[in-house]
Amino acid sequence: MPAKKVYASAENALADVCSGATLLIGGVSLNGIPNTLIKAIAEKDISGLVCVFSPCADYNDQPITVLDPLIEKGQIARLITAFPFYRNRGGLLESQWNSGDLSIEVIPQGILAEKLRAGGAGLGGVFAPVGVGTSLSNRYETQYIDGEQCLYLEALRGDFALIGAQRADDLGNLIYKGRARNWGPVMAMAANITIAEVRDICEVGDLDPELIVTPGIFVNRLIKSIEP
Amino acid sequence: MIEKKTLDLDALALRIKREMLPGQLVSVGSGLPNAIGKRLSYDPHAWLIDEDGELTPTTFSSDSFGNKHGSSFHSISDVAAMMHGGHVDIAIVEAGEVTASGDMVSVSTHSTTGLEAPGWSVDLLNNSKRVIAVAKHFNDKGESVLKDKCSVAPDGIACVDMIITDIAVLDIIDNRFILKELAEGWSVDELTTIQGIPIEIAPSLTNITFGSEAKGEISKVYDTGISAMSDLPDGATVMIDGFAGPGGMPHYLLVSLRDHGATGLTIIGNTAGIARVVNFGTPSGQQAIDHTLLIDNGQVSKAVASYPVSPSASRPTAFELAYRRGDVELELVPQGTLAERLRSGGSGISAFFTPTGVGTLIAEGKESRVINGKEYILEKGLRADFCLIRGYKADKLGNVIYKGTSRNFNPVMAPAADVTIVEVDEVVEVGDLDPDEIVTPGIYIDRIVIRPTDFSPYE
Repeated sequence: MPAKKVYASAENALADVCSGATLLIGGVSLNGIPNTLIKAIAEKDISGLVCVFSPCADYNDQPITVLDPLIEKGQIARLITAFPFYRNRGGLLESQWNSGDLSIEVIPQGILAEKLRAGGAGLGGVFAPVGVGTSLSNRYETQYIDGEQCLYLEALRGDFALIGAQRADDLGNLIYKGRARNWGPVMAMAANITIAEVRDICEVGDLDPELIVTPGIFVNRLIKSIEP
Repeated sequence: MIEKKTLDLDALALRIKREMLPGQLVSVGSGLPNAIGKRLSYDPHAWLIDEDGELTPTTFSSDSFGNKHGSSFHSISDVAAMMHGGHVDIAIVEAGEVTASGDMVSVSTHSTTGLEAPGWSVDLLNNSKRVIAVAKHFNDKGESVLKDKCSVAPDGIACVDMIITDIAVLDIIDNRFILKELAEGWSVDELTTIQGIPIEIAPSLTNITFGSEAKGEISKVYDTGISAMSDLPDGATVMIDGFAGPGGMPHYLLVSLRDHGATGLTIIGNTAGIARVVNFGTPSGQQAIDHTLLIDNGQVSKAVASYPVSPSASRPTAFELAYRRGDVELELVPQGTLAERLRSGGSGISAFFTPTGVGTLIAEGKESRVINGKEYILEKGLRADFCLIRGYKADKLGNVIYKGTSRNFNPVMAPAADVTIVEVDEVVEVGDLDPDEIVTPGIYIDRIVIRPTDFSPYE
């Protein structure tokens, strides 16, 4: 019998997430955010988390509040993101960053995606001619490949990935709905343990094989979403 | 006194539309570009990619569920591949600061002092074929977006081609701002005086003009395989999909390429034609059509492949025999490395460190590196001039779905060639494919050929 992937609650699925863990958290704008899992993390007595979370979108100038339950409890030590907030409009996240309780590492969105993708695909890192000559050149190793200067983007992985999807079968095969796909497929590959929260869990065979985006081999645990 | 007009979002969208060409991929990132993108109808279609991974044709109409016909959804790493891979024809990026040398600080970086968080802007500014900076010309403090130098490190160096503001349209040529168009009610002196930095005036200076839509049909569907590859030259590099069975192989396009007759070809594929000797799933007494056609016709001079030989020594492949005769060269690539090299070629990755092949002949002469205690070797991205792939269905915009295991190398090859031709069973109307089901989006498909109904993949 295969290991059972469906967990009764987010609390059960997150039982072994401990202080200092690196969490890859999916979602862009308000799509694909694993709200149930995030709230359950806030219930845990852990801290020093490194969160990779990059919604990176137009918020109509509203601060991103999705991680506020974790920030409020001082659980996040470092946030890796392409765009955390507009200055002076960043809410709780900005005030913790200002006070030095939380550090922020900025990585351009596409570079972050490629670093995670490399991590998920078993690569050590990749060279790409992205952002050469900008301030990034000082932060990344550079090397010429066939006469073209490239940045070295080292692979990035997480201990846990928390992602949102539309539907799963018992084996963890996932389909996404529309824009909610965003970080799910790449983060699912790039973590040691991937936990997906979904609207609906169906029997094996109920998902059309042609439509499955993230195969169950990349998904360790499943819960049903109880948040909107 | 004439009223000083400023362009609203609709007007900005109309002005940007003048810069677009049919079929182009236009990125509409967060902020102003996103708002403009929502207003950017264009006929015949171009493509819009937004930061969430929705790819939409500009001609879309929606069904009753709100699905946009012809649209598809892509993960963030696939969006990064579009951007880094140079697939974006026009990047529309909101500027915080632009200099006459084309350096730009995005509004994203500009509004995150101390963090300088670029969002997508670094990815877009450095890898797109053309960059149009959009901005409010003067901010609330009356400061212009045009600068003599950037106040913080730019997101892109010498990357901006054109600036469209709510007041003016400027080109950047040879480290100069050239004012081409001005909104109604503004005088050149007013703009340049407030500006305080040198702006050249184009002799053809006009009020901002809004062109009419670029009407006309563009069709990707070709009548025959041979007509779809009429410009494939001798010496071309051609990617061809396929495993040992008939699945996923563009048999009809292979016959077309043989009939086309181009010689000196480098073929890139998983095999160099083993279906004929393996004959998986082939009816008895028949032979599968595979790369052998091209080898036997003397068209191939080199193969880049992971499995060019027969599994049976007594039944060598045509490529094997040609190799022994010294007629062809071979670059042997492990299968997973081949897939990764193709993915890199389509995604703007020049090279990558893989553990595959360490300590074997594959590693000879390659750079190696120990990363976190594990040894890796450096492999390079792979691209081709042409790519022949096998889909199941395509819509008229070139969105493709596959069937079963015939998907194999097709999706990873399609973005990695200058011209990608797909062979499908059926071409359907835009909107007939579910946006969540589309695997290869139309931006990667240049030409579509329908496999004739009476065509057999066997001889």
